Amino acid sequence: MTLTQAILVGLVAALTHLDGGWLGEAKFREPIVTGFLVGLIFGDVPHGLMIGATMQLLWMGVTGVGPTPKLDIGTGGTIGAAVALSTGTGAKDAIIFAVPVALLLQLVNTLMTSAFSAFMPYVDKKIDELKTGVIQGIHYLCGLIAALLYFGITFIGMYFGTPVIKAVVNGMPGWVEAALNGVAALLPALGFAMLLDVILTKKLIPFLILGFIPAAFVGHDLSMLGITAVAVALALIIYNLYSDLQSKNVAPQPALAGSADEWED
Amino acid sequence: MTEKQETLPAQKLPKGEFRSIFWRSFSLLGSFNFQRMQGLAFLYAMLPSLKRIYRDDPEGLKGAMHRHVETFNMTLAPSPIVMGTSVAMEERFKTDPDFDSSAINAVKVSLMGPLSGIGDTFFWGIFRILACSIAVGFAQQGNFLAPFLLLFVFNIPNFLTRWYGLKFGYQQGQGIMRAMGASGKMQLFTFCAGIVGAMSMGSMIALWVKIKSPLKFTISHNKFVLQHYLDQIMPALLPLACTLGILVLLKKRVPVMWIIGIVIAVGAVLGGFHIISGGKA
Repeated sequence: MTLTQAILVGLVAALTHLDGGWLGEAKFREPIVTGFLVGLIFGDVPHGLMIGATMQLLWMGVTGVGPTPKLDIGTGGTIGAAVALSTGTGAKDAIIFAVPVALLLQLVNTLMTSAFSAFMPYVDKKIDELKTGVIQGIHYLCGLIAALLYFGITFIGMYFGTPVIKAVVNGMPGWVEAALNGVAALLPALGFAMLLDVILTKKLIPFLILGFIPAAFVGHDLSMLGITAVAVALALIIYNLYSDLQSKNVAPQPALAGSADEWED
Repeated sequence: MTEKQETLPAQKLPKGEFRSIFWRSFSLLGSFNFQRMQGLAFLYAMLPSLKRIYRDDPEGLKGAMHRHVETFNMTLAPSPIVMGTSVAMEERFKTDPDFDSSAINAVKVSLMGPLSGIGDTFFWGIFRILACSIAVGFAQQGNFLAPFLLLFVFNIPNFLTRWYGLKFGYQQGQGIMRAMGASGKMQLFTFCAGIVGAMSMGSMIALWVKIKSPLKFTISHNKFVLQHYLDQIMPALLPLACTLGILVLLKKRVPVMWIIGIVIAVGAVLGGFHIISGGKA
């Protein structure tokens, strides 16, 4: 593989990551699309497409639903196609070759997503200073960092071969990944707590319980749509009840959303 | 309550602003992080409108920016609906002192869950599968049309949903705000939005905050798996305990920087010793 080819393959990998981040999941990450682009790089579009089709069928069921996609089909597909085209092997061998890179990228992605959290207090500070330009800049910076990381790792893997990547993955002590996993697990609790801090008043606590219990016991069989439907029904009951009372002048509207929120234990 | 500009006809977003939010909505995952998820990107999409609404009110702009940088997470394609609704609510908040700003976040949270559910079904379940399966046949024959077909079939609904979603969200939001303001039920509306918001938050904590304990050891040939005991008390106990624990710190006005430091330190230590992990759902 030539230097130019390795650089171009790295750019395709960066594009597949930006597909989710900046292009609204326009599907540039699908193996058929990456197979086509990699085919262009190696001057063999038909074969690139055929390899792409094989991987597409293999990964049809992989979705990005939920906060962390399980398998990075974007970079996986790009690297798979590039290896298959440059060595003349089939798509299935190519996938085996792509696994260590995909593993490393998964770890890098967790690290990156944790690290981006560190920008948030800085953003809060810039909001107080009304520096909207800086706030937008941080948003752009996150995209740039991600693109560079995906480009860099794929390029290294392509140009120097996966032994380098394999050595990095194997050389990493297990506790690093475990510690990172722990931080990544706790951080969403912080985000939701901050949101609760805005929404939750003392009078709304019963409703928090009403939402939590069914979801905790039933799990994902109970969709958010179902829970929200119940919540809307409850809200409508209370809305109608108070509206009726109000129109009959039986009772004045109580200060439901009062600012006196004495949420202390 | 007096009649305030309630008789005005439904307004449209200024053209440039509409396009700006539309295009910015594509970058919703651009600065995704574990703490606020798509919060910063949502604020980024809202900025053109916020700057217009609060152009003569720096304090109001600060408050609004803080509101929209809060945790947000949903399927991408229908997100402009929430953006449109949020703009309508911000416009209302600026002119109506009876409107409690916490309702804005409550409505956002209420929309996130169900719109994601519907969006996932359509975009991951239907449009993606449809686009890919149409393209696979062409790709297997090495036909260069395959990637273009895939992108077109998927992105036509993707673009249309965003464009009309933004329009729809703004109009609906404006309609609701107008009706509530006219009937003098803004406070009641705020509380009811809070009900839906709080219930959604309750289930999101159970479903989306994933903290499990992989801790297990053997005492005299008896296997002890901590998570089993925790699940017997209540499923999703750890996500609830962690979220509420941090909420208590926030309510006690512990500086957020400290809390972040504590979360990272505790997460790294407990994770490193395999006491907690981001368990699978």
